[in-house]
Amino acid sequence: MEIIEKIKTNKSIVNQTEIQRFCIKKLQSSPLPNPKSELWRLTNKSKFSKFLDYSVNKKEPKFDTPYPKTSQNTIRLIIGENCQIKLIEKKYSIQQLSEDELFNHIKEQISFCDQNENWSDLLNLSLSCTKNILGLKINGSKIPPIEIFSHASINSLNAKTLVIFLEKNCDIDLLQVNLGKENSSLSQSTFFFLKENSSVNHGVVSYGEHKSNLLNSLNVIQQKNSEYNLGSLHFKFNYARFEIRIKQTSGNAKTNIKGMQITKKDEQISTYTKIDFNGPNGFLDQINKSLADDKSHAIFEGSIKVPKIAQKTDACQLSRNLLLSKFAQIDTKPQLEIIADDVKCKHGATISQLNEEELFYMRTRGITLPEASKLQLSSYFQEIISFIPVSKDRWDLLDKLLNDN
Amino acid sequence: MQSKMKESDPILEVENLSASTDNLPILKGVSITVYPGEIHAIMGRNGCGKSTLSKIIAGHPSYNITNGDIKFLGENINSLEPEERAQSGIFLGFQYPIEIPGVSNLEFLRVSTNARRKFLNKEELDTFDFEELVKEKLELVKMDNAFLSRSVNQGFSGGEKKRNEILQMALLEPKIAILDETDSGLDIDALRIVASGIKKIANTQTGIILITHYQRLLDEIKPNYVHVMSDGKIIKTGGSDLALELEKKGYEWTDNYIKQS
Amino acid sequence: MVNENLVKDVVKEPYKYGFVTDIETEKIAKGLNEDIIRLISQKKEEPKYLLDFRLKAFKKWQKMKEPDWAGLGYKQIDYQDIIYYSAPKQKEKISSLDEVDPKLLETFDKLGIPLTEQKKLTNVAVDAVFDSVSIATTFREELAEHGVIFCSISEAVKNHSDLIEKYLGTVVPASDNYFAALNSAVFSDGSFVYIPKGVTCPMDLSSYFRINSGDSGQFERTLIIAEESSSVSYLEGCTAPMFDTNTLHAAVVELIALDDASIKYSTVQNWYAGDEEGVGGIFNFVTKRGKCLGKRSKISWSQVETGSAITWKYPSCLLLGEESVGEFYSVALTNNLQKADTGTKMVHIGPKTKSTIVSKGISAGNSINSYRGLVKMGTKAAGSRNYSQCDSMLIGDQASANTFPYIKSQQPNSEIEHEASTCRISEDQLFYLQSRGIEFEEAVSMMVSGFCRDVFNQLPLEFAAEADKLLALKLEGSVG
Repeated sequence: MEIIEKIKTNKSIVNQTEIQRFCIKKLQSSPLPNPKSELWRLTNKSKFSKFLDYSVNKKEPKFDTPYPKTSQNTIRLIIGENCQIKLIEKKYSIQQLSEDELFNHIKEQISFCDQNENWSDLLNLSLSCTKNILGLKINGSKIPPIEIFSHASINSLNAKTLVIFLEKNCDIDLLQVNLGKENSSLSQSTFFFLKENSSVNHGVVSYGEHKSNLLNSLNVIQQKNSEYNLGSLHFKFNYARFEIRIKQTSGNAKTNIKGMQITKKDEQISTYTKIDFNGPNGFLDQINKSLADDKSHAIFEGSIKVPKIAQKTDACQLSRNLLLSKFAQIDTKPQLEIIADDVKCKHGATISQLNEEELFYMRTRGITLPEASKLQLSSYFQEIISFIPVSKDRWDLLDKLLNDN
Repeated sequence: MQSKMKESDPILEVENLSASTDNLPILKGVSITVYPGEIHAIMGRNGCGKSTLSKIIAGHPSYNITNGDIKFLGENINSLEPEERAQSGIFLGFQYPIEIPGVSNLEFLRVSTNARRKFLNKEELDTFDFEELVKEKLELVKMDNAFLSRSVNQGFSGGEKKRNEILQMALLEPKIAILDETDSGLDIDALRIVASGIKKIANTQTGIILITHYQRLLDEIKPNYVHVMSDGKIIKTGGSDLALELEKKGYEWTDNYIKQS
Repeated sequence: MVNENLVKDVVKEPYKYGFVTDIETEKIAKGLNEDIIRLISQKKEEPKYLLDFRLKAFKKWQKMKEPDWAGLGYKQIDYQDIIYYSAPKQKEKISSLDEVDPKLLETFDKLGIPLTEQKKLTNVAVDAVFDSVSIATTFREELAEHGVIFCSISEAVKNHSDLIEKYLGTVVPASDNYFAALNSAVFSDGSFVYIPKGVTCPMDLSSYFRINSGDSGQFERTLIIAEESSSVSYLEGCTAPMFDTNTLHAAVVELIALDDASIKYSTVQNWYAGDEEGVGGIFNFVTKRGKCLGKRSKISWSQVETGSAITWKYPSCLLLGEESVGEFYSVALTNNLQKADTGTKMVHIGPKTKSTIVSKGISAGNSINSYRGLVKMGTKAAGSRNYSQCDSMLIGDQASANTFPYIKSQQPNSEIEHEASTCRISEDQLFYLQSRGIEFEEAVSMMVSGFCRDVFNQLPLEFAAEADKLLALKLEGSVG
C-alpha cells in the first residue's frame, strides 16, 4: 500500500494544493480507518487493500468511452478531461467555482471530519489533484439535464472530486456515472450544496468491469425548503462502498432516496447512509435494495438521527433484500436515534428470496422459471431505475442488469 | 368410476393420487378421468383437499406426490414443471389470484400467451398483434383496456381478479381448465360474466373441472359429473342432480354417507 | 394542549421498595482477587471443579475490557470497592421456615412475597434470594412429587452436582463477555430448576431477588434445564433499597430445552433506579441466554423492565434444534436519567426454526431507551423465519428512543422481517378519552398499557396485573 506510505511520510505527493495538504495532515497520524469500528468492520480486508494497491492518478490513456452518444439537450462533463465550462444563458448559468470558493466550502466540510466516518473523503481529497476537481455553481431555471462522468484507468487509482452549489430557487436533473475499468480503483467524492428552495433529481450509476473497485462518497447539505431526490445503482464491482451523508441544516427540507446494489460472483458492495435532521419538519423517504447472488456479500447500514430540535420530522427507511444463493450473504442494519417526541419515524427490513407464490402463478401460465424470475426481478429493479433521472431513454439500465453477466 | 365407453381418449387421468405437504397427507387416493367435452364439478367442505388437488395437477412445488399418477393426454406428468404443464394446455384458475406488484398485466399476458403459442408451433405475437388479440378477448369478460396497464392483479377487486383469470384462460386456450372456487366472492352479475366467459371457451375438445362448494355456479354451467370430496378422498360421484341433492341436504349428508360405507 | 407538567407528575411515584432491612449480615472484605474467590467457594463448600471454573473465569475476566460499545457512559466501576459475598446471619442449617429470621420473612412480606406456610402464594413456588444467599424455597415437597427440582443453586451444587457439572457454563461460557466472566468467578447464589422428562411443572416457579446491602454486588446465577417433552413457566422479580451509590448486579441466566420441551421465562425488573438527578440506582448488567437444543423445543422470554439506573441485557435464544422456537417480548420503561439498552439475539442455526420479537420501549424524562437486536440466519437454517416488531413511545421532548436492529442472513431459503415505529401519546387521543370523563392520569396509563398490550398478553396472569400497575406507577407525573 504505497499510497498509505506516501501519506504517512507526505513526501512523494508533489504539487500539493492547499486542500491536499490539509487532508494529508489530517490522515497522517492514522492513515487507515479502524477496521473494528462499526462503519468498517464488515469490509473485506483483502479487497480493501486491493483497492489501495494501485498507483495514484496514473496518466490516463485515451478512455474508450462506453457512454451513449451525447444528446443535444444534455450537458456532458468528464472529470479530469473537459472540466472547463462557462455557460451564461438568459435563464440560467453554469460556472466553475473559484479556487477560494472551492477550498472554503471543502474546508468547512472536512474540519469536523471523523477519521472513520469521513475517511473516504479525506483520502479522496488527499489524492485529488486540481485537474480532477470539478466545482460548479448552478443558477437559474430551465437548465438542461447534466451528465457528469468519472472513471478510473487500468492499473490505476484515480481520485475525482465534484463540488456543486445549487443556488436559490434553482432546479436540475443530474446524472453522475462512475465507471470502473478492469483492475482499477476509483475514489469519487461529491459535495452537494442545496440552497433554499432549490431542488435536484440526482442519479448515481456506478458499474465496473471485472476486478474494479470503487469508493464513492456523497455529501449533501440541504437548506430549508430544498428537495433532494437520489436514485442510485451500484453493480459489478469487486469491491464497492457507497457512503451517503445528508444533512438538513435547518429542517423543512425533503429527501427521497431510492438506492440499489447488486452483487454477484464474490463481489462485496456496501451502502452506508447517515441522515441528520437539524431542524423541524424534515422529511425522508428512503428505500435501499440489495440483491446478492453467487458467493457475494451485500451490506446496508443506515442511520437516522432526529435530535430534539427536529420536531415533526417524518422519516421512513426501508431495507429490502433478496438473497438468491446459499453461499451469498446479506447484512442490514437500519438504525433510528430519536430524541424529539412529536415525530413520525419508522423503519423496516426484510431479507427473503423471490416470492414463490408469485413465481408459481406465472409458471401456471406457461412462463418458464427463468422468465418468471426475470419478470419479478425487473419489477424489483424498475422501482429504483425509474427514479434515476436523465438515464431513461439512452442508458437501458434494466437491460444491463437483466442480461449482463 | 365412469363406466360409459368413450369414443376418444381421455384428456386427464388422475389415478389413485396421494400427496402430502410437510409430511402431512392431504390427498389419500383420488381418481378422476376427464374426456373431451366434459364438465366435472368437485364439491366438498373447506379443507377436504379439493384446492390441493388442483394445485397438484398444476404442479405446485410445495406438495409431494406419494402415490399414484397424473396423466395428461396419455402421458405421465408427475415430474413436469408447472410451466411445462401450462404450456401443454393445463390451466389452473386460482381461488386467490396472486398480486404481482410491478409486473405489468399486459406484459405478463403476452409472455404467457407466447409461451403457449410456441408450444403449439404457432407464431409468437409482437406487442402490436398481441394487443389486438387481447382486446378481442377482453370483450368476453367485459373488461376494459385499463386493466392491461395495471400490475398483475394488484389493487383488483375480487371480481376483477376472477375475470382476469378467465381472460387468461381465453388467451391460453387450454385443453383442460381447473377452476378453483372461481365463483367465490362474486356478486350475481360478475358470476354471470364469468360463467358466460367459461361457456364460450369450453368446446367439445376441452375438459373443465369446476371446484366449488356452492350450487350457484352449477346453475349457470351444468356439469356432466359431480364428485364429492371429503378428507382427501372422493366419496361419491354422480350426475348434476347430486349437486342439487347436496345443496338440499347439506354436507352432513355426506358425513353420514362416510359412516355408512 | 397537553399539560407538560401534569404528565410529568404522572411518572413520579416514589420507589416503594426502597427500605433497608436492619439485619446482622456476614460480609467478607471488599475487593476481588483469587483469595476472595477461594473464600467464596470455601464458604459454599464447593467441589473442586467449581472452584476451578471460578478461577478460570477470573483469569479470563482480568484479561477482558469493560464493554463500552453501547455508549452507556456510566461512572467507572471500582471492582475492588465491592463486597462479593454478603449473607444475613442465621443458624447454620435451616430445616424449616420457622427457623428463618423473622426480619427476613417480614422483608419479603413487605415486598408482597409472603414465604410463610399460612400466607404463601397459591400455586407459585418461590425461591427468595437475599443479597448473596437463598433464604427459602416454598412448595418443595409438592414439586418433588413430580420429580421437579427447584432449589438454590448452592444447594444444587451439593445435591445435584452431576447436573451442575454437565450444564453450568454451556450456554453462557465464562468468556462470553466481561460481566458474564465476572459472574462466573464470583456468583454467590441463584436458582436451579430441573424438569424431568415428560413433566409439565404443576405450578409456576418464581425467584425473588432482593439486594439489601449498599456496598455488595449481586451476582446470582440461574440454571434451568427442561428435559424432553417437559415444560415450565418461571418468573423472576427483583427490588433493592435506595442508596445514593450505584450497586452492581451482574447475573447470568442459562436455559436449556431438549426435544419438545418448553421454557417460559418472565421477568419484572424493578431494581432501584436512582433519584431524579440520577444519583444512585442499580447497574443491571445481565447475561441471559437460552439454548433450544432439542427438536421442536421452545424458549420464550418476556420481560418488563422498569427499574435500574442502567440496564444492559439481551435475553437471547440459540435455535439449534430443528423446528425450535424462540420468542422475546419486552416492555422497557425509562424515566428521569435512566438508561436502558436491551433487546435480544435470535441465532437461527437449525432448519425450520422460528423466532418472534416484540419490543415496546417507553422513554420519559431525560432517559435513553434503546432496542438493540441481532437476528441471524446461519447457513443451515433453511426454512427458518423471523418476525420482529419494535415500537417506541416518547413522552416529553427530552427523552430519547433508539433502535439498532442488526440483521444477517446466509440462507436464501429463510425470511426475516423487521418493523419499527415511533409514536407518542397524541393530544387527540387523550382529549377523546378525557372527553368521555376519564381522568388525565388514567387516560395516559390506559394509552401506555394499550401500547404494551401485545407483551402483557404474554405474561403469566399474576405478573400481567402487577406489570400494568407498575407501569402506571412509574409513569405518574411524567407525561407532558
